[in-house]
Amino acid sequence: MMSLASYLIISLILFVVGLMVMISRKNIVAILLGIELILNAAALNFVAYSRYVTNNLDGHIFSLFIIVIAAAEAAVGLAIVIRFFQIKETIHVDEATQLRN
Amino acid sequence: MIQQLFGFLSYYIPEIICVVLMTTLLVAESAVKDEHASRGKIIGYALGMLALCLFFLIQNMSEAPIYIFHNAITIDPFSTLIKIIMVLGTMGTIFLSYSSKDIYSNLKSEFAIMAVGVLTGGMLLASANNMLTLYLGIETLSILSYVMSSFKRDESTSTEAGLKYVLYGGLSAGVALYGISHLYGILGSIQFVEMVAKLPGLEGTNLVLVMISFILFFVGLGYKISVFPFHMWTPDVYQGAPIPVTAFFAIIPKMAGLAALVRVSFIFFTSNAALNVSWVGLMLVISAMTMTVGNVTAIGQTSVKRLLAFSSIGHVGLMILGIVTLNDEGVRAILFYGIVYMFMTLIAFYITSHLSDMYGTDSYDVFKGLIYKHPTMAIIMAAVLFSLAGMPPFSGFVAKFNIFAVIIEKKLYGIAIVAAINSVIALYYYVKLAKTIILGQADGEVKVAGFTPANQAVIIALFIPVLFLGIFWEKVMTISGNAVLFIK
Repeated sequence: MMSLASYLIISLILFVVGLMVMISRKNIVAILLGIELILNAAALNFVAYSRYVTNNLDGHIFSLFIIVIAAAEAAVGLAIVIRFFQIKETIHVDEATQLRN
Repeated sequence: MIQQLFGFLSYYIPEIICVVLMTTLLVAESAVKDEHASRGKIIGYALGMLALCLFFLIQNMSEAPIYIFHNAITIDPFSTLIKIIMVLGTMGTIFLSYSSKDIYSNLKSEFAIMAVGVLTGGMLLASANNMLTLYLGIETLSILSYVMSSFKRDESTSTEAGLKYVLYGGLSAGVALYGISHLYGILGSIQFVEMVAKLPGLEGTNLVLVMISFILFFVGLGYKISVFPFHMWTPDVYQGAPIPVTAFFAIIPKMAGLAALVRVSFIFFTSNAALNVSWVGLMLVISAMTMTVGNVTAIGQTSVKRLLAFSSIGHVGLMILGIVTLNDEGVRAILFYGIVYMFMTLIAFYITSHLSDMYGTDSYDVFKGLIYKHPTMAIIMAAVLFSLAGMPPFSGFVAKFNIFAVIIEKKLYGIAIVAAINSVIALYYYVKLAKTIILGQADGEVKVAGFTPANQAVIIALFIPVLFLGIFWEKVMTISGNAVLFIK
């Protein structure tokens, strides 16, 4: 039997893994994947709370919006990454160092 | 039910105008050929529609506060005044984008489309009354901003700016969302009013969890207004983006984020004492750090665009001080500061943009001896710099004075001293630039091409409020005083 706690632990793990991916990976596409993990952790939280605690539809609606917005953000992010790749011919995040003092 | 919905729509006309403007601009853009004149017409149409939007907003100012769309949106004088500031800022930057060489000529109307889109997101954020509208506002604002910052798509710097913005923005939005999800679970709703009703009864673990969630939630808003720990992206993005975009970023997202921060602080942190104390403490620390980091880092800058970016961080730090008092005077001070800040920032970026178009760089050198070539523009720029530093008799002084007045009234002397020291630091780097303008040696008699009579007229028109709000500030102060937040 799944309880609320198990969902929250899974979402916490997803969140931490997402953060770790964003901090440690150097590939920009992998970093974008990390963002997706964090967003999905939040969406999972919303649905779990909606099912077990609050018993209203707010959480379900919110998670649908999260899915839509995550798609839009990924589209724009990937477009910029493609542009970056066309100019620099790499998607290594350490190459993005032109703007510094 | 349906009738009520249509009744609500009448309050929502400004936002509807913006969305209609966006879609019609898309259609119009696909219809024109590559002629500069027809793009001028499109820009004129966009400015006209925004003026119409402004007209409806001014009408809304006098309406009683109201909740529409099942409590999702608040229309109160506070949000309406913030929207007026944002619409004026958008009109200013769209006009600037038309003459700027930084925006490719075939992307002029796209700039208007994106700017109006961000404006719509900002309006949503300013009047958000539940977590979903707030999140949608932040994301509408952010996603279009990512595109705007990489507008110079052939240049690696602009693309890099967009890339950094996407990565930092996505992370902070995700973290904020994770915080919101726990708030929803503990407080049982996404409506602000219902959430706040649960706050006084909280204790033990739940209280700690709510505090942590609010800090996570603050990451999202703090990132949009670029406060201290989340300001790292600001200078890079401001430097990489084209100048009209930078001017836009310095005004619209910041005002929208501040409006949301004010609303959230006032709704959530006046009922529960433990939460109130920790939130006010957080705001004080963040404000002090933001001011100090912004102003101290601004000293060493050689690019004027980057200097203005850091100084805008400093200004936001000062504006946050209006929140810590959690009273009407604080909100009034923020609103007045916002109005003045908008005009000053626009003028500074207008003049920087025309100079940078001419010389291809925005370092201090291009300002050298501007007074011998364009005396009016040089005097206005120097005056605006003094106003940004908060010197009387300009409006920047009145704005700064108001903030100091509210914090000293609350007996927060420590933070007042920090703010005063920061004003001195700010004065140093602003005066350094003003000195370059007035005492520097000009490189011959070459006139700046960008200062056409029309552009000069606009700059002078923008300068009038900066000058006169420093002396005749009562009227605007009354307007901002009446526009205090409506919370129920």
